[in-house]
Amino acid sequence: MWQDTSTWAAEALAVFAKEWRCEFRTRYALNTLGLFAFTTLVVVSVSLGPLGVSVSQGTAVLPVLLWVILLFSAAAGLPRAFVQEEETQTATALRLAATPSALFCGKLLYCMTLTLALEALVTPVFVAMTSLDVKSPGLLAAVLAAGGYGLAAGSTLVAAIIAQARSKGTLFSVLAFPVLLPLLLIAVELTRHAVAGDPADVALLQLLLYDGSVTVAGFMLFPVVWNP
Amino acid sequence: MPSLRFENVRRRFGRLAVLTGVSGAVGPGEMLLVTGPNGSGKSTLLRCLAGLLAPDAGTIEYREEREEPLDAAGRRRLAGVVTPDLAFYAELTVRENLEFFSRLRRTTPEHGLAVLARLELPLDRMAGALSSGMRQRLRWAWALLHAPRLLLLDEPFQNFDAPGERAAREILAEHLAAGGLAVVANPSPLEFGHVAGHLDLGR
Repeated sequence: MWQDTSTWAAEALAVFAKEWRCEFRTRYALNTLGLFAFTTLVVVSVSLGPLGVSVSQGTAVLPVLLWVILLFSAAAGLPRAFVQEEETQTATALRLAATPSALFCGKLLYCMTLTLALEALVTPVFVAMTSLDVKSPGLLAAVLAAGGYGLAAGSTLVAAIIAQARSKGTLFSVLAFPVLLPLLLIAVELTRHAVAGDPADVALLQLLLYDGSVTVAGFMLFPVVWNP
Repeated sequence: MPSLRFENVRRRFGRLAVLTGVSGAVGPGEMLLVTGPNGSGKSTLLRCLAGLLAPDAGTIEYREEREEPLDAAGRRRLAGVVTPDLAFYAELTVRENLEFFSRLRRTTPEHGLAVLARLELPLDRMAGALSSGMRQRLRWAWALLHAPRLLLLDEPFQNFDAPGERAAREILAEHLAAGGLAVVANPSPLEFGHVAGHLDLGR
């Protein structure tokens, strides 16, 4: 039993390490996410900087803009997780060699670390450029961690579903909307709480429940959508 | 004793019936040769046998040591497959590709590396920089990575030069001599001493 678990974990870690090794050599996702994040950050910060938004408006508007930047930056790179395997025909070798759940776990770990790295770069710059006064930085960090994980888990699941479809781009948008909308609504609300210094209430629990639900759904659905 | 038996396998793609009731069997040390023109369903049959494609009807029973036949997931994990659409990570070297897949196969890369040494493929070359013949050598090493009992080979000697084909034929002969099974799909009949059965999908 223990040996099975450790070899499963070794498989997942091998996929995770392979993803980052390929990414460091091509820098496809890093460049795409970075460029999109930088562009939207500059546009938002210049348009709605400290001179353009009052404190009360900033508390309401800026958390939405932060999550819009994170969502669209992530959407530029995360759907590639499985699409690239199909397009480069490496999916056949993966189907034959990998345990589906370990493969999903490895891809999820990669998407999660990519999203968290994106958040770690974007959020401090966004806060500085918009002079956003965050009253509860601890809560903001928790929201970003849980929200980033949810974003990665939801995107990985949708990416797996669309990988074998023809109109991948359209399908990702259509399927990602209902999957990611609850996450974004909760994350925006919690970010407002963090900015205003209000307690998290049950919203943080809802976010964690969302993360857990998407993760369980991903592990249950992935073997079905991945294999014939 | 390992054995593979498939009966009345049918597979359609939309209105196109590609496999219309194909049957065959292969035992230890035997090779089943599947021939037929392009589009006759050779690759589709091999994908069904490998567990990469679900047949619409029919049965596929592959047994190794146990009495119960393995399901599609079991066949995917245990069979060694060479197909023209098998690709590897262009950003990784040949060695890195084999090491990655050996971790997924829960084995060590030694067997695959030994095959590559026989096929004379440079290990530190990027997979994206391989010629078509070299990619075929890597497919062979990849398929034999976990020392499978069952080999499913779709046009296994394509793109090889003469020494490469000779080495691959020797490897296949050794596999069969050691009690392994093989199903080989090729557009035309192969001159090979170990052919135990011939399934012509062109008829």
